[in-house]
Amino acid sequence: MSRFLSKDFLAGVMFIAFGLGALYLGRHLAPGTSVRMGPGWVPHALSYIMLVLGGIVSVIALFTGGEQVEAPKWKPITMVTIGIVAFALLLESTGMFPALVALVLIASLGGDEFKLWEVVANIVVLTILCILVFKVGLSMNIAVLNGVW
Amino acid sequence: MDLFHNLILGMSVALSLQNLLYALVGCMVGTLIGVLPGIGPVATIAMLLPITFHLPPTASLIMLAGIYYGAQYGGSTTSILVNLPGEASSVVTCIDGYQMARQGRAGAALTISALGSFFAGTVGTIVIVLFAEPLTRMAQKFGPADYCSLMALGLVAAVVLANGSVLKAIAMVFLGLLFGLVGTDVNTGAQRFTFDIPELSDGIDFAPIAMGLFGIAEIVVNLERKMSRSGAIKVTSLWPTREEARRAWPAVIRGTLLGGILGVLPGGGPTLGAFSAYTLEKKISRTPERFGKGAVEGVAAPEAANNAAAQTSFIPMLTLGIPSNAVMALMVGAMIIQGIQPGPEVMTKKPDLFWGLIASMWIGNLMLVVINLPMIGMWIKLLTVPYRFLSPAILLFCAIGAYSLQNSTFHVLQVAGFGVLGYIFVRLGCEGAPFLLGLVLGPQMEEYFRRAMLLSRGNPGVFIERPISLGLLITTAILLVLMALPNIKRAREQAFQEEET
Repeated sequence: MSRFLSKDFLAGVMFIAFGLGALYLGRHLAPGTSVRMGPGWVPHALSYIMLVLGGIVSVIALFTGGEQVEAPKWKPITMVTIGIVAFALLLESTGMFPALVALVLIASLGGDEFKLWEVVANIVVLTILCILVFKVGLSMNIAVLNGVW
Repeated sequence: MDLFHNLILGMSVALSLQNLLYALVGCMVGTLIGVLPGIGPVATIAMLLPITFHLPPTASLIMLAGIYYGAQYGGSTTSILVNLPGEASSVVTCIDGYQMARQGRAGAALTISALGSFFAGTVGTIVIVLFAEPLTRMAQKFGPADYCSLMALGLVAAVVLANGSVLKAIAMVFLGLLFGLVGTDVNTGAQRFTFDIPELSDGIDFAPIAMGLFGIAEIVVNLERKMSRSGAIKVTSLWPTREEARRAWPAVIRGTLLGGILGVLPGGGPTLGAFSAYTLEKKISRTPERFGKGAVEGVAAPEAANNAAAQTSFIPMLTLGIPSNAVMALMVGAMIIQGIQPGPEVMTKKPDLFWGLIASMWIGNLMLVVINLPMIGMWIKLLTVPYRFLSPAILLFCAIGAYSLQNSTFHVLQVAGFGVLGYIFVRLGCEGAPFLLGLVLGPQMEEYFRRAMLLSRGNPGVFIERPISLGLLITTAILLVLMALPNIKRAREQAFQEEET
C-alpha cells in the first residue's frame, strides 16, 4: 500500500487528473486542422501530453518506490485558506476593517502559539499600515468600514 | 558611440527624483525580505505586482528589480550574523560567513560581501549593456518558428537546472502551459476553460497565481515547522585585515565571472551561481581544509557570484522576452500589466525604460552598499520579530493586492485556491518555478506555434528547416540527452543534495 503513497506516484496521478480534467472541460473546443488550428488543437495536445507524462511518472514510481509523502498537518493550510476566503467574502459587503480582523484572527489560529493580546496588537498595527498604504498612499477605492468611511 | 549615448539616456532616466525614490524603496524592501527568512523575492514581487499597476512603467520595473537584487544583499547579512540564510542564494555564505563571525570577524565578512556584491553588480550591469544590443538585433531576425523553438529551449533549460526530478519538472512546465490557455482564444475568439467567469476571459491573471503558489504555500510550510533562531553576533570593526583583503579580491573576480555566465543561462540565476562559485574556490584553493572554518574566499566568491547572476539573468528577459527564472517571469508579468510586450521591441520602442532600468541597477547597487553597511544594526533588530506577527501581515498584503488588480474578490479567492494547489505541489515535491515559466510563456508560445504552422501550410517540418530554429532545437535535444546520462544525473543530484542540507 505504501508504494501508492510515494510523492512521485501521487504527483503522476495529479498530472493525469489535470490531463483528464482539461480533456473533459475542453471537449467542445474544435481542434481544426494542422493548417488552420481551431481553439481546441493545442489544449487537446497538451492534455494528451499531461496524460502520458503523468502515466510515466506514476509507473516509474510504482517500480522504484521513492520518497514517501509526509503526512500533512491540516491546521495551517485550513486556517490560512479559510482566512483568505473570509476576507474575500467580507471585503465588499462590510469593508476592509472587518475583513482584515477576520483574516488576521483566523490565520493566527493556524500557528502554534496564539496569544490574544499579540493578535490584537497585530490587528491595530496592520490596520493603520493598510489605511496609510492603500487608502492614503495609493488612494485605492476601498471602504474601511462600509457606509462609515 | 551609440553605447555611450544610450548610457547617458539611461542615467538621465534613472537619476530623476521619482525613479531614484522607487529604486530606494525597492532596495529597502529587498533588503528587508532578504533579512527576514520565510519570505523570498518571488513571493514579495508577486505581492507587489498589483501595486505596480498604479505606478509609471519605468518606476515599477526599477522598484521590482531593486527588490530582486536587494534580497541578495539582505540574505547574506543574516547568513553571516545568525547562520540563517534569508534567501536560497545565500545558503553557502552561511558555511564560512558564520564561522568568520564566530571568530570575531563578522564586520570584515559583511564588508567583503557587500563590496564584493557591489563589484559584481557593476560588472553585471556592464555585461548587460554590452550584450543587450547585439542580442536584440539577432532576435529581430527571428520568425515565429524560431521563437517557438527558442521558448522550448528556455523551458527545457529551466527544467534541467530545477531542483529534483526532471520528468516531474517537465510535467510542471506542461501543466503551466495548460493553465496559460485559460481565456479567450486569440485567433477564433472562442472561450476556453473560462466557466463563464468574466474575470477569466482575458486570460488567467498570474499575479494571484504567483501569490498563491509562492506566498501562501511558503507561509503554510513555515507555519508547520517551528522556526528557531540563534542569537545575533555583535559587529565590531567593519574593516577587513590586509591578509583578508588579499585573499578576497581574486575570489570576488572569479565569483563574478562564474556567476555572470551562469546567470544568463535559463534556469540559472543567483542560487546556482553561488553554489558553483563556492565549489570552484574550494577546488582551486591551495588550502581547501580552511573552508568551513571561516575562509574569506568562501564568503567573497559566492556573494559576488549571486549578485552577478542576479544582474545577468535580466539579459534573456530584456532582449528576448524569455524569463530565465521565476523572478524574471514575474518581471515579464509586470511589463504585461503595464501594456508592454516583452521582447526585442522593448529596446527600440521604449529606449528610456530599457536603458533607465539598466542604469538604475548600478545606482541601486550603490545604494545597497550604503543601506547595508552602516545600517546593519537596524536590520539585525528586525530578525527578532517573531514569524507569528509576520505571516498574517503577508497574507493580508496578498489578499488586498489581489483584490486591487481589478477590484474583484474573485482574484482573492483565486489566491486561496492556488495556495492550496501550491501546498499540494510542495507536498508532492513538484517545483513551482517551471509551472510559472510555462504559464507565462504559454500564450505566446501557442500563438507563435499556430502562426508558424499556418505559414508552413501545416507542415511541422518548418521547425527543422529554418537554421535558427533547428539549431535551437538541437541544443534543446542535447540538453535533454545530457540529463539522461548517468554521470551527469548523479553529479546533478549531488549538487542539489548539498543545497538542501
